[in-house]
Amino acid sequence: MASAELREIRRRIKSVQSTMKITRAMELIAASRIVKAQQRVQAAKPYTEKMDEVIHNVGAASGGASHPLLAEREVRTAGVLVVSSDRGLAGAYNTNVIRMAEARLIELNGEGVDTRVYVVGKRAQSYLRYRGYQIERAFLAVTDTPGYGDARAIANLLMNDYAEGAIDSLEAFSTRYVSALTQTASRWPVLPITPPEQEAAAPGAAVPGAAAPGAEASDEAPASFGYTYEPSADLLLGLLLPRYVEATVFGMLLDASASEHAARRRAMKAATENAEDLTRVLSRQANQARQAEITTEISEIVGGAEALTQG
Amino acid sequence: MSKPFSLTVVSPESIVWSGSAELLVTRTTEGEIGILADHEPTMAALATGSTVITAEGGEQVSLAIHGGFLQVLHNEVTLLTDRAEIAEGGREEAARLAGGLADGA
Repeated sequence: MASAELREIRRRIKSVQSTMKITRAMELIAASRIVKAQQRVQAAKPYTEKMDEVIHNVGAASGGASHPLLAEREVRTAGVLVVSSDRGLAGAYNTNVIRMAEARLIELNGEGVDTRVYVVGKRAQSYLRYRGYQIERAFLAVTDTPGYGDARAIANLLMNDYAEGAIDSLEAFSTRYVSALTQTASRWPVLPITPPEQEAAAPGAAVPGAAAPGAEASDEAPASFGYTYEPSADLLLGLLLPRYVEATVFGMLLDASASEHAARRRAMKAATENAEDLTRVLSRQANQARQAEITTEISEIVGGAEALTQG
Repeated sequence: MSKPFSLTVVSPESIVWSGSAELLVTRTTEGEIGILADHEPTMAALATGSTVITAEGGEQVSLAIHGGFLQVLHNEVTLLTDRAEIAEGGREEAARLAGGLADGA
């Protein structure tokens, strides 16, 4: 007959063990997802690299054309995009990026700049809503395996708001996948676009004439080859820039997704190890309780027998 | 057999096709364009439609392309496309697929 104490400990061991099964399964799932997510990050690289190259070439040739997406304007309303996950149990993954975004929101509000908040993922949505931030738009169920279509939908909405003047700039907060062990929350300026590899030339977008950007690009070989543009370079740039924003958002989502899986794997690994430790401690307690019980029983029997022989 | 050039078709999610080709026929926003080796440097916006690659050796590959950009530079041709699919059934199939891609956008 097990004592109440022993039963209680055994019940806890069972509960810890069944939790451990769940965390171990989640760890294994996350581990297999990381590999896929990493492959997707790799697969997206050639496109992004080529896109940078093409934008660089067209930008130089269009002679510093002022496209609305390039023009820097006075920031009255700042757009902030926060990329988090839909599910928790990923350690500090969501907290890091959300805290960083919130700090920036407070800073912007302190400067007297209005903010407009966009979120990806339920975690950021519920956190920020609870803190009283008005959320303009939430994109859910995209972070697990983000597709290009998701990135396009997000990018289009943001560019629309930017074009309509609802926001004057856009900063994104997302997690950069550095390695399986390191993921860092970081801030990415998205709009206005800073053209790749020619940051120095970007504020000069208003400089008239092709001379300045031409000279700027002359050290880069491709720009000097005299491309034939079909349609004109200006029109091409207009078509390219939205694609560039889409690709940027896509890259961000892919990085965030890989980071999420990596963070979850780490968190679940730690949880599984803790559960193992806990099981060990608890079974030791259970054994002690069992032995104490046996000892009590024996001494009761011995005591009883003694009483009989004496009587 | 004409001189080959190197061709890469990339979409945001993967490299769709890459290798050396003899002829590339695709649609830009201005109309159909054919690229052979030693084409002058060109940058063009692509329309939705079928693209036919004649690979080195004469094998033909049809692709459905949904928008994107074409860059030709020194026998290095890059097709940057939003979405692309290789059509097994030749050109007609590619055209049909392209229609599907446009609808799905």
